[in-house]
Amino acid sequence: MYDYETLKVTQEGNVVTACLHRPDSRNAINMRMLSELSDLIDTLEEAQDVAVLVLRGSPDVFSSGIDLRDFAARKRRDIYGLQKWERMCRDLEKLNKFTVAAVQGECTGGGFQLVLLCDARIAERQAVFCLNEVKLGFLPGMATFRLAKYVGLGRAKSLVLTGRPIRAKKAQQWGILDRVCDQTSFDETLAETVSNLLPFHLVPLEMARRLLDESYATSYEDFLGHFLAAQHRAINSEAFGRLVAKATSAEPRSNSP
Amino acid sequence: MHRPKAGPRIVSVGTATPLRKYTQDEILDLFHETDPRIRRLFHSGHIKARYLYLPEPVNGVLPDETNQELLDRHLHGALEIGPQAIEQCLCPLGLAPCDVDFFCCLSATGFLCPGITAHLIKKMAFRENVQRIDVLGMGCNAAVNGLQAVTAFARANPGKLALMLCVEICSAAYVYNRKMSTAVVNSLFGDGAGAVVVRQHDADSWRQGPIVADFEPHIIPEALLAMRYDLEDSKLSFFLERDIPYDIGANVGKPVSRLLGRHGLKRKDIDHWIVHSGGKKVIDAIQYNIGLTDHDMRHTLSILKNYGNLSSGSILFSYKELGHEGVVRDGDLGVAIAMGPGTSIETALLVW
Repeated sequence: MYDYETLKVTQEGNVVTACLHRPDSRNAINMRMLSELSDLIDTLEEAQDVAVLVLRGSPDVFSSGIDLRDFAARKRRDIYGLQKWERMCRDLEKLNKFTVAAVQGECTGGGFQLVLLCDARIAERQAVFCLNEVKLGFLPGMATFRLAKYVGLGRAKSLVLTGRPIRAKKAQQWGILDRVCDQTSFDETLAETVSNLLPFHLVPLEMARRLLDESYATSYEDFLGHFLAAQHRAINSEAFGRLVAKATSAEPRSNSP
Repeated sequence: MHRPKAGPRIVSVGTATPLRKYTQDEILDLFHETDPRIRRLFHSGHIKARYLYLPEPVNGVLPDETNQELLDRHLHGALEIGPQAIEQCLCPLGLAPCDVDFFCCLSATGFLCPGITAHLIKKMAFRENVQRIDVLGMGCNAAVNGLQAVTAFARANPGKLALMLCVEICSAAYVYNRKMSTAVVNSLFGDGAGAVVVRQHDADSWRQGPIVADFEPHIIPEALLAMRYDLEDSKLSFFLERDIPYDIGANVGKPVSRLLGRHGLKRKDIDHWIVHSGGKKVIDAIQYNIGLTDHDMRHTLSILKNYGNLSSGSILFSYKELGHEGVVRDGDLGVAIAMGPGTSIETALLVW
């Protein structure tokens, strides 16, 4: 299980950790890694014993971005590989587990895009975030859709159009990161982040995340209908049922004999 | 999944509506409706306009209609838009009613004997030996039930032609009494007819249409009476329970999972969702229970907006819109979902 070339995957309890692993190319994302990420997501979707996926890089680099060596140099380049990337990103964003991005060191391009997909995002102080695609001559994927929702349009334009790198502290101030810590306390902070997410209630997680992801794109009236449907599902879920059963059994019954 | 290359295919679809289209405001004005709750209800359902057979106002007021007049309207409408949908379905194939071997008509908005097939056989010159079946009273899910019948016929009789017509004159089941319960229904349903031809023929490919590969029903007996006809002033009046959209949402995952599961498919393998435009709430509930997006539901939402709930014909209108988009490719998979009285959720798997 979880046997990949470009990912090092371990499981501890209900937490699966996937480390991007291409030491020769600073964890650049190639087609192989994309396929393996897709496969991992498909596998995790079915895994009943997993509640959290943590996405990491190496101690000095999360990822240096898309591996340009996968593009054809001499013939017409088609869009399908990048479309596959976006499909994987969407599947990760909608995965039926909590997702955590834990960043150390360089986090560029596609690496940064991955971070934006996760439910919780942390980094150590030395981490540097950069979307350099436009500077290089292409586009930072659907980060063009997601980034402004985190940071606002002005900052998104500044990051995307100038390709300027920002440090972890600024990324936290701008709302991209939840927590920033020292290298020495990184694993401890990560463990805390994971335990703060638990317990894992699948239905409210999926419903809340979907509503939040859609919150910038819908009218109030449409959204209200979506919310009511989602809330109906949540209040009829197992987790809420247990909560109500507990609340009503704890309550002293005034009409009991 | 193992993709079947042969099997009964939907090779053509036709739809028709009455000529007159009414916006929600026009309908409220015709009924001189001033109750703000009812006016709000008409505007909250994401419906813009509907095609309806409404009577001509007399001195600016819609005449009160007898039961007989409503039944007449159902038959008149069925014999007007039914043939239009059938012709639109047969003509592109170079076929005529006399080529049809099996004829199935579905309607839940008027009751009559002899059935609609008999009337249409006379009117459109079907053969005198056409096999036929009239399905009355199944409601919004009926197209999938009818598809089960025509598909079974086509599978058992390769080369022969099966025709299904869903024709609903919902305006013939209008009861206007200023109650919220009737206003819910009157704000939602529209008139329309949809027809499909199903046949199993070696020369047909995905370009003609999808193979109807499988069906999976789901009935919720506890909700038997959640959608039903009541009698109000001796007229049939359709009633919808308040919670039914959410009950359907809570159950829709069951048949869909069974249908996909036995073919080794996941929801994300499905390229096209053809879902009944039952109303905004039930569409929301389905979306949030089985993870469908507005894009997946684009035809369902657009049919609701422009036609209202067409009852059994609804998914045929959505299916036709999908075809017009020109996005379907060889090997694509589709799932049709229609829900209605019973309470019933009917699903079908389509393979292009």
